[in-house]
Amino acid sequence: MSTAIAPDRLRRAVASSLAPVRPLLPPARRALLLAPLALATVVAVPALNFFRPDFAELGTLRAWGFSLVEALAGLAIVGLALRESIPGRALSRGAIAAAVAVGLALPLLIYVATASRFDIGVRPQARLYVAAVCFRTSVIAALPALLAAAVLVARALPLRPGVAGALYGLGCGVIADAGLRLFCEFTMPSHVVTAHGGAIVVVMVLGGVIASVGHRR
Amino acid sequence: MDDGRKARDDGELCRLMSVYLDGRPGAIDAFDALYAALAPRLRSFLLGLCRDAALADDLVQDTFMQLHRSRRTYEPGRPVAPWAFAIARHVYLMHRRRTARRLRFEETLAAETLGADALLVRDDVSVLAARDELRRALAAVPSDQRQALVMHHVEGWSFAEIAERLGIRVNAAKTRAFRGIRKLKAQLKGERN
Repeated sequence: MSTAIAPDRLRRAVASSLAPVRPLLPPARRALLLAPLALATVVAVPALNFFRPDFAELGTLRAWGFSLVEALAGLAIVGLALRESIPGRALSRGAIAAAVAVGLALPLLIYVATASRFDIGVRPQARLYVAAVCFRTSVIAALPALLAAAVLVARALPLRPGVAGALYGLGCGVIADAGLRLFCEFTMPSHVVTAHGGAIVVVMVLGGVIASVGHRR
Repeated sequence: MDDGRKARDDGELCRLMSVYLDGRPGAIDAFDALYAALAPRLRSFLLGLCRDAALADDLVQDTFMQLHRSRRTYEPGRPVAPWAFAIARHVYLMHRRRTARRLRFEETLAAETLGADALLVRDDVSVLAARDELRRALAAVPSDQRQALVMHHVEGWSFAEIAERLGIRVNAAKTRAFRGIRKLKAQLKGERN
């Protein structure tokens, strides 16, 4: 039993802007809107640069198959970010930790699962340059998906924008890495962890910053 | 009494939400019913957070306004209450942030006006004099700048809200508040010299 009556001022304000609205699609379906962009990112990184020299040796499954899995994992993480941005559907700490752990570990697991040797590197003098190329390529490749995800999240109401942003940043970083692994043939752990993993972390931080700043404005 | 009980039921709330989202003639009645069902619970929740009855009442209104603006984020078929409570919590946190910002601004102004020594003494006469000095300095700020300055730095409105309220662009609101502060500081400095 309740007799609470909406105050006149509130009622008038609501009545004056009571246009029909179409609710947002569920987070998973909105994440799927990014699927073409994710696919384009995976294909564009090697296509706009070059395919790794051992691409043919890898075979379709180890090359495209694992990249597809990685890109889908990235999309799933973006989906979690979209869910986080819906009031009342915030993720638990455990879910966030699990998403971050999967996002950071999956590229490494795929790298371990698909590399036949772990000593393919460049001469020491060129290491920094090659790392910079991979890092830059990955971060740039993640930007279109990052911006699209930022728009999708901003259309909702993220109550923890930093968390939502970091999650979609992580997802987009993973998507870009799925393309990067078709381009970079170097398998030295130090290169993969610092250049490839570092790029994912940077895109994740970038997502958190974009969402926080956007929310404050 | 039965109507109220029914309205509290999740299924009924979902139905009311779908009518409300449709925006058809019954939408405002659906809003009223949602208000009747949710406002008392939201008020208790907010009262528990802020421990101030008057503030809790204000926050309930703000919550329903925010709920209205963000109604597209409601997922049809899902329980309404968790969605509304999450928005209420958000509104409370925003209010707390605005209040903290306002207090910081007032402290800064007080420090600039009184100087560090006077702040330590906190003598009533000097506080009154400072207020008077501040009032005079504010009066010298052009009215459009003063309005933006007070809305942002004193009342804690965001620039987007100020822009919406005054019917200007966000950048214009920022510029006005910034120029207002600059003018206010210059005035205060001038008065002290």
